Amino acid sequence: MIIAEAKPILELVQQLAGLRRVLIAGCGCCVAECAAGGEREVETLAPLLRMALQVEGHPLEILTKTVERQCEWEFVEELAELVPKVDAVLSLACGIGVQAVAERFPDVLVYPGVNTTSLALREEAGLWVARCQACGDCRLGETFGLCPVARCAKSLQNGPCGGTRKNGKCEVDENLDCVWNLIVERAIARGQLETLLRVRPPKDWSNSHHGGPKQMLREDLRP
Amino acid sequence: MMMAPRTEILVEREAEVFRPEIVVLFCQHCVVPDADLTVAGMATSRFKAKLVMIPCTGKIETSQLLSILAEGVDGIQVVGCPRQQCHRLDGNLRAEKRVERVRQFLHEIRMGTERLDMERGLDFSGLQLMLLAERRANAVKPLGPNPMKGDSD
Amino acid sequence: MKLRSGSRLERVLTAGHFAVTVEVGPPQGPNPEPIRRKAELLRGVADAYNVTDNQTAVVRLSSIAGAKLLLEAGLEPVMQMTVRDRNRIALQSDLLGASALGIKNCLCLSGDHQKASAAGKLKGHPGAKNVYDVDSIQLLAILKGLRDQAVQLSGDPIEQPSPFFIGAAWTPLATPESFRTLRLAKKIEAGADFIQTQAVFDVARFAAAVAKARERGLCERVAILAGIIVPRSARMLRYLNEHVPGVEVPEEMIRRLEAAPQPAAEGKKIAQELIAAVRVIPGVRGVHLQAIENEAVLPEIIASADLLPRPDLDAEPARAAAGRNR
Repeated sequence: MIIAEAKPILELVQQLAGLRRVLIAGCGCCVAECAAGGEREVETLAPLLRMALQVEGHPLEILTKTVERQCEWEFVEELAELVPKVDAVLSLACGIGVQAVAERFPDVLVYPGVNTTSLALREEAGLWVARCQACGDCRLGETFGLCPVARCAKSLQNGPCGGTRKNGKCEVDENLDCVWNLIVERAIARGQLETLLRVRPPKDWSNSHHGGPKQMLREDLRP
Repeated sequence: MMMAPRTEILVEREAEVFRPEIVVLFCQHCVVPDADLTVAGMATSRFKAKLVMIPCTGKIETSQLLSILAEGVDGIQVVGCPRQQCHRLDGNLRAEKRVERVRQFLHEIRMGTERLDMERGLDFSGLQLMLLAERRANAVKPLGPNPMKGDSD
Repeated sequence: MKLRSGSRLERVLTAGHFAVTVEVGPPQGPNPEPIRRKAELLRGVADAYNVTDNQTAVVRLSSIAGAKLLLEAGLEPVMQMTVRDRNRIALQSDLLGASALGIKNCLCLSGDHQKASAAGKLKGHPGAKNVYDVDSIQLLAILKGLRDQAVQLSGDPIEQPSPFFIGAAWTPLATPESFRTLRLAKKIEAGADFIQTQAVFDVARFAAAVAKARERGLCERVAILAGIIVPRSARMLRYLNEHVPGVEVPEEMIRRLEAAPQPAAEGKKIAQELIAAVRVIPGVRGVHLQAIENEAVLPEIIASADLLPRPDLDAEPARAAAGRNR
């Protein structure tokens, strides 16, 4: 799931101050799942922003609409009726959706309402923990299904470093497990600790964003 | 301009005195069964209250609290059952978290945290709810009227 | 036995001496004088001098420049290189540059995450983008390739080999302890010639860890130098014990410093005792002293540990060249 975090309200106030009418566009997919940009969040943000801007002396009229997904043109199209009525669209979708809206409606100002941060798993209610970094070269089979790229603060391929805390947490973030400690524990449980003796070679990052902005082309699926 | 004397009869002239409008969202299980809720209709020079009974404070959404305030209400008093005594196990705990979140929002947008709070207890009478409303009104008074008042879209 | 780099540190170890290295912290500014002053202060007390690489991700004069300044002052440096700030291209480039400048010893580290730079009074650069293109073990392999096969990581050749005496860090008491011997084995496999450990305070536990390494035959393949930090106060020891992973300080030692009328002096005694204690552990072939902005105490501690003068290798050429069976 793509995870996003709500932007600080004052940042949104600064962006929107001076405008007369804004459409808050929610997205029913990932950002709704992580309670950052779905219909419920739109319904929360609308009155909050109206009050915030009133207090600042910049009264703002707010329209709202939540679509299924903002990363699909046919759903973005559903905003077409309301867009001409507003000065700006505040999209609560992830960065993909914000850009889709901006591309489909080039004549309106488009602002992001959330900060897209990670690809994460919802471990428990209210807790999402990043699991994937889209490195483009998945080697999860080598590390017992635990990803050091996404879950190690240093993306070590031959961890752990000397910074694992006594309680097995990461030196960099005491709330995070040291994933290499988890990998070692799993290796021990399977009686395969010696497999971790292999010096894993440097990663080839060229299929990730490091190799250039990504594009995936499937000729067999083209029109 | 001559200052008109303040009496109960002149209470209707709101322009001179800030009479905070308080909405009381109270759980049906924390009032006595025969609570006299008509007390809300009593005119008072100090504040105005609207009593709204709900099945459980856990039903209150963050967006609802904000919408109510965005309509111009000066303050909201949530009243729910004590922490361990929610009929739906943790509805009141959820309510507490939402109330806290909205209070934080109110602080960030400079509307004032005291426009919203939650009280917990059992066997409230209608009059006691009104007393809670008055307490909320007194906390709201220094903040002034809700800036959203009279602002109709 | 053919020397890999010909560095003094390598020759001292090869000749069978108990080696001494010390750490020199570079300044947070462009002035070379602080390093020159530390060089004068520490001249003759160690076989090689580590220059840290933006330790705790705090910007300081670079390790490679600091190492060159030490060379100019007549001391042998150990350049430290983390993988936090440089990708494989920059790392290899800096290594070639270091060789060109005459730097022979290099300690390969992961490096503290940049979040660590915002601590105390410093704002640091916690918002920096880190690199971690390769990890410290892969870096060891890179150095080995440059030295033994004159190749880059890519397989492309370099014009001539880059001689390095390759160092790695070891934190034997950090979680998961059971893996730390294996990780040492990995570092040796990748190319480590010498090891500088995390600071030792609990000698018994450290000795047990070294014994496990010995059992695996690792002590014959790598020279372990035990890390020693000179304690200054009970508070410092408590901090190290609680906040630095892999540093285990026995409670008695903390209490000893608490009770001491002159903690700084007692701390120096403790350092001396630690050096004497690790010296007799089979497999430990030297010490690496860190005095964290307190370098002035090192000469007397090293002297009182009976480690001075440092061996004069020119006076024993035959022994140095013959080497010792590692």
